Amino acid sequence: MSKSVKIALAGNPNSGKTTLFNALTGSEQYVGNWPGVTVEKKDGILVGHKEVVIQDLPGIYSLSPYSIEEKVSRRFLVEEGPDAILNIVDGTNIERNLYFSTQLAELGLPMVMAVNMMDVVKKNGDKIDFEKIARALRCEVVGISALKNEGGMEAAEKVVEMAKKSVVEKGPGKLPDVPHVFSGSVEHAIAHIEESIQGKVPLRSIRWYAIKVFERDREIIKTLDISVGEMKHIEEHIRDCEKELGDDAESIITSQRYDFIKRLMDKSLALNEKRKDKATLSDKVDKVVTHRILALPIFILSLCAMWFLAVAENGPGTMLTDWANDGFLADGWHLPFTMHECREDGKYKGMEFEDAQGEFAKAEATVAAWEAGEKKASIEDEDTGEIAEEWDIDEAAYNAAKEFEEPDPGQFGVWVPGLGALITGALERAGVSDTVKSLVVDGAWGGVATVLGFVPVIFIVFLFLAFLEDCGYMARVAFIMDRLLRRFGLSGKSFIPMLIGKGCGVPAVMAARAIENERARRMTVILATFVPCGAKTVIIAMFAALFFREQWYIAAMMDVVGIAIIILGGIALKKTRFFAGEASSFVLELPAYHMPTISGVWHHTWNRLKGYILKAGFVIFPACVFLWFIMHFDWALNLLADEEIEKSILHDLGSWIAWIFEPLGFGSWQGAAASVSAEIAKEQATATLKLVTVGMEGVSSGAHIQNFFASISAFPKLAALSFMMFNLFVPPCMVAIAVTFREMGSQKWGWFAVGFQLFVGYVLALSVYQLGVLIAGGGFGFWTAVAILVDLAVIWAIVRPARKGGK
Amino acid sequence: MTLVELKEGDRARIVRVTGEEAVKRHLGALGFVAGTVVRVVGESYGNMILAVHESRIAVNDATAMNVEVQNV
Repeated sequence: MSKSVKIALAGNPNSGKTTLFNALTGSEQYVGNWPGVTVEKKDGILVGHKEVVIQDLPGIYSLSPYSIEEKVSRRFLVEEGPDAILNIVDGTNIERNLYFSTQLAELGLPMVMAVNMMDVVKKNGDKIDFEKIARALRCEVVGISALKNEGGMEAAEKVVEMAKKSVVEKGPGKLPDVPHVFSGSVEHAIAHIEESIQGKVPLRSIRWYAIKVFERDREIIKTLDISVGEMKHIEEHIRDCEKELGDDAESIITSQRYDFIKRLMDKSLALNEKRKDKATLSDKVDKVVTHRILALPIFILSLCAMWFLAVAENGPGTMLTDWANDGFLADGWHLPFTMHECREDGKYKGMEFEDAQGEFAKAEATVAAWEAGEKKASIEDEDTGEIAEEWDIDEAAYNAAKEFEEPDPGQFGVWVPGLGALITGALERAGVSDTVKSLVVDGAWGGVATVLGFVPVIFIVFLFLAFLEDCGYMARVAFIMDRLLRRFGLSGKSFIPMLIGKGCGVPAVMAARAIENERARRMTVILATFVPCGAKTVIIAMFAALFFREQWYIAAMMDVVGIAIIILGGIALKKTRFFAGEASSFVLELPAYHMPTISGVWHHTWNRLKGYILKAGFVIFPACVFLWFIMHFDWALNLLADEEIEKSILHDLGSWIAWIFEPLGFGSWQGAAASVSAEIAKEQATATLKLVTVGMEGVSSGAHIQNFFASISAFPKLAALSFMMFNLFVPPCMVAIAVTFREMGSQKWGWFAVGFQLFVGYVLALSVYQLGVLIAGGGFGFWTAVAILVDLAVIWAIVRPARKGGK
Repeated sequence: MTLVELKEGDRARIVRVTGEEAVKRHLGALGFVAGTVVRVVGESYGNMILAVHESRIAVNDATAMNVEVQNV
C-alpha cells in the first residue's frame, strides 16, 4: 500500500464544510481532540480511497490568532503540514470567503477551492468566473453543491491527485508560486522579511511567515529566532509602510487583502443587479424573530415546545421514557399495534395486559400481607414511594389471590423481552449465586439502566437544540440574549450551554467552547450546571411528591433558583478580580435560515448523546458496583441482608462525615451517604435514600423517607428541602466535574469552579434550613448566626461596587 | 460617527475600526475594513444586524461603538 495522503478540509463557518466532510467520509470518522486544547478534531477516510485521510479543520474566518480554533488550525497547517488543502467556499458570499482563501494560498500547499452552493448561485442569477479566480490564487477551482451531493467527490479526487503529484515532482523545498496581493511598498517589506527568515521556515510557506512577521504576530515571531539587529531592520520597513499608508501593519494587510479580492471580484463575479440590497427571506424572518418586543416571547414559545416534547405528561418524551424504563431496559414490551385482549381461557380472559398486571400485583400484595398477619394490603407508587392503593383483606381474598398466576405477556401480543429480563434470565440459567445475581442486577445493571432511562428525554432535548442550531435560529438566540447576559459577565453565546444543561451538564460544559472571550467562557462553565439537568429532575419529582404536595410551586421554583444562581453568581463573580474587565464585545455571523439536513441534525445530536451514554458505561458502571459493595458488606466482608444495612461499610463511611451536614439539617449517616453517592450520578440520591432508610418505620419506601427526615429534624420539611437543594446545587456528577476541569484549562481553575459550586450548594442549604427553622419558631442558635453572617457576606459580594476597570 | 448612530435601512462606509486588538482582527476577517459599505438590516436596543458583503453579522452596542463610519 502506498503512503497515506493527508488532505486538510478548511473553510469558513456556515460554508457547508460539515456537510461536505460527512459526504466525503461517510461513516468512517474519528472524533478526538487536538492535542492540548479542547477543540474537536475530526478525521475521516475518503470514501473509496483507503489511503486518503481527510482532516476536518474547525470552521474559521482567518489564520490570525483570534480564537482557539484559529490557533489550532494554523498550527496544524504550518507545522504538521497536510499534503494538500481542500478549501470550501460559500459561493453566495464569495468575497468574504476569499479572505481566508488568500491566506491559505500563501501557505504554498497544493490547493483546490470547492465553491459550494452553486445551485443557489445559479438560481440567484449570479455568475462566477472560476478561471480568473484560479489564476489569481494559483489553485484549482471547481463548483459543487454539498447539500445536493454534487461535485464534492470530484473536488476531493482532484485534490488527492494534486497532492500525489506534488510529492513526486516538487518536494517541500521548492519555492512555490503563490499570489502576491499587496501594494508596492508592502510587497517590498515582505520581500525583505523573506530574505531574513530564509532557512528558518519551510521554504514553501515562507511568504505566509513573512506576512505574519509584517503583522507583528508575536506567536510566530517567537518561533523564528530572528536576531535583534535583523528584527530592528525589519521593524524599520514595517514603520515606513505604516507611515506611508497611515494605518497599522495589521490593518494594512487586512484591507489590502480585501482590496485585492475586490479587484478580483470586479473581473470575475457578475451579481444579478436586481437582487442588490434587497431584503432576503432570511432578513424578513429576522425582522420578526429579532424584533425588540416579539423576540423574547418567540424564544420562550420555542422553549415551551421543547419542554412539551421532552418532559410534558403524555408528550413524546414521557412516552419514550416509560417505554425505556419499563419495557426496553426492564422486563420487556409489546410491539406496537400487536396488542390485544387475552384470548386464552382462565383468569385473565378478555383483559388488557396492564389490567392483568395490576390484578396480579394486587394479588401478590394480598398474599404477602395476609402471610405477614396484616389485615390490610397496599401497593406503592414506584416513582414516589407513596401508597397508591389500599384495601382490606380476609382469608377468602387470600385464597383467591393465591390462585392468580403471573400473566404471560405472550398471550396479549407480540412480546419483546427487555434487557433487564434477558440479563436476569441468563444469570438464572447459568445458576449463579444470589449474591452475584444481586451484584449484577441491582448493583451494576440497576445503575446503568437508570442512566440509560434518561436517554429518551435527553435525546429529544438534544435533537430539538440541534435542529434550532442547524436551521440558524440559535445564532439569533445568542444575539437576543446578549443584551441581558452581558450584565452578568456572560455572553449571549452562554445561553446555548445553559439550554443543553437542561438535558445533561456534560455536553453543556463542552458547548461553552464556542465562546471566544475567556472570562465569559470560564464563567459559563462554572454556572451552566446550575440549571437542573435531567437526572436532577428525578430528585425534584420525588421530594415534591413526598414533602411538598401542598407546595406545588416548590418543584417549578428549583428551575427559578437555578437561574437566580446563574444571574447573582454572575454578578458576584464579575466583581472579583478574576472576572473584572471591559464589557465583552459580541460579534456573530447569522447564517441564512435554511432547512437542516436529517444527517446533519443526527450527527449533531448523536455526538452529544454519545458522551452521555459512554458515561453510563465507563463511570457509572464501576461506581455502582463499588457502591453496591459497600452497601452489602461489612468491614469483615460478610454479606449483609437488606435490613442489616446499619452494619455496612457505607454506614460507617457516612457516619464519619455526617457532621458536615449537621448544620444543614440532615447530619446523619443516611443523609451523608445519599449526598455523596449522588456525585456518581445525581439520580443516585433518591435510589440510595430508599436503600438506607429501609430500617425506618412505615409501609412504603416513601414513608420510610418521610419518617427518616422526621427522625433527624424537628422540621422535617425544611430538612428535606435543604437535602434536595444541596443535592441540586452542589457540583454536578463526577463526569461533569471531570469535564469542568478539562474545559477550565488548569487544575487551579478547575478547583475554583468546583469550590464555587460547593460553596453555593452548601450556603443555600444552610440558609434554607437555618433561616427556615428560625422563621418557623425553632429558636436562634449558633448556626443561625453563621447562616446570617454568611448570607450578609454573599449579599455584599453581589451588591458591592464593581472594581475599577469593570463596567 | 459610529455604527450605533445608524438606523435600520441606513448604509454607511467604514472609516476605521478601533478597540481591542483581537476583536478588531476578527471584525477585519469578517469584512469590517476601511472602505467597506455596510447596511443596517435590523436594530434593537443598540444591538444591530449588519449586511457586510453577502453575510449578516450581529454585533452588540459595545462593538458597534468601535466602528467609525461615514455616510455614503
